[in-house]
Amino acid sequence: MIILNNVSMKFNLGVEKDNSLKMIFINLFTPKKKKKKEYFWALKDIDFRINKGDVVGIIGANGAGKSTLLKVVSGVYKPTTGTVEVNGKISPMIELGAGFDQELTARENIYLNGAILGYSKEFLEDKFDEIVEFSELKDFLDVPIKNFSSGMVAKLAFSISTIVDPEVLIVDEILSVGDIKFQEKSKNKMMSMIKGGTTVLYVSHSIASIKELCSKVIWLDHGKIVKMGDAKEICDEYYQKLMK
Amino acid sequence: MRDFKVKYKRSVLGVLWSILYPLLMMSVMALIFSNMFKFNMEGVNYLVYLMSGLLIFNYFSEATNNCLTSIVGNFSLINKVYMPKYIFPLAKCLFAGINFLFTLIPFFLIILLSGDAAAGTKCTINIWYLYLPYVFLCTLMFTVGIGYILSTVTVFLRDVIYIWGILLTILNYFTPIFYSITILPTYLQSIFKLNPLYLYINTIREIVLFGNGPSLTNVVALFLSGFITMIVGMFIFRKKQDKFVYYI
Repeated sequence: MIILNNVSMKFNLGVEKDNSLKMIFINLFTPKKKKKKEYFWALKDIDFRINKGDVVGIIGANGAGKSTLLKVVSGVYKPTTGTVEVNGKISPMIELGAGFDQELTARENIYLNGAILGYSKEFLEDKFDEIVEFSELKDFLDVPIKNFSSGMVAKLAFSISTIVDPEVLIVDEILSVGDIKFQEKSKNKMMSMIKGGTTVLYVSHSIASIKELCSKVIWLDHGKIVKMGDAKEICDEYYQKLMK
Repeated sequence: MRDFKVKYKRSVLGVLWSILYPLLMMSVMALIFSNMFKFNMEGVNYLVYLMSGLLIFNYFSEATNNCLTSIVGNFSLINKVYMPKYIFPLAKCLFAGINFLFTLIPFFLIILLSGDAAAGTKCTINIWYLYLPYVFLCTLMFTVGIGYILSTVTVFLRDVIYIWGILLTILNYFTPIFYSITILPTYLQSIFKLNPLYLYINTIREIVLFGNGPSLTNVVALFLSGFITMIVGMFIFRKKQDKFVYYI
């Protein structure tokens, strides 16, 4: 179950300019112009509730706040205002391979990334073969990740993060990784997770795959929810609005 | 969760270097100070005296230096996966602690092998050695506290990376590592004694060199200096950690 109460997320655009002594020193001598309002609301008053087992798609243009929303739900960002409540273990697939170390081999990275996702060592040893099997990378286990193609990295990452049956699965535009065979396989894996009662938050630009997988859709625009409801209706409406 | 060790398993030589480096540094320091500058202390095994100081200080300097960039350097992770952020500085302190434990081996070897019984500079193993782990633990707590503060401050002000390098050098000379605190004027002595690092080093020396057990005040002082620093560090880190993602 995921409940978001009036969640807003403010980003400070100019903030990075002030984190060195040099800049603070320079700012002392530059006459202060009117206070710059260099921030924007990536999310504004987001309010929704997702029940256990729901598969919810999130659509919207680039910069609408989709990824930010996922990061707020997964706990990477703490919202500026409002509260987030998530029940159950989350498996975030926001940036695949975020925890990979380029220098290490695939084998070592399975353990490293698994540890980052919070799995125990025994568990990983148990599931190691299954991960390797699914990722189709048996012949490359002892090759450093830096020599992998991006498709291979994505396959490995997908295999690691779906090895548990999480209660909440957060997916950002990843079903498009790998070759056709792997895409099909990962879609099947998602399907079986969905059938197993996993709550899914799914971001994609592919309306077709959203319609196929999701029961509900949230339509975001400039950080606000435009509409929320039945997947098919909203997808059609969204598509029409875009094509106008 | 603690499988961060994997990350440091770069190569066999890599691990070897992290042990060798402090060892070689210490040998250089020992050579320079005892032979070139003829530093010596009456009735004291100078090599052991020097090493006990270097041991603690090198640990502190390595751990805090690693902590500095522990948050900034792992930003790609912090921004993408939810992880408890406190792990990063803590892991750095513990990792430096492993190196520290390795340097204990040559330290004890020197204690056993060096010194001249006739001149009264032979060190003997005594019951108070059991107190040493407690001293190390307090040093760890103190370092963790400073590490948390540094990793937090670096997020907001990158210059700290350079400033800390200078501060460490200053601290190196202001901590009686290769000289004795008694060569200083009395008013300075009392100021220098406020340095927690000196407190730890001195406790170790009293035990290793003279076989003097700690006083009750010492037990309390060690604990308080370590514990309070750790709590303050954690508090600052906790308070600011949600803001990290905006600043990196």
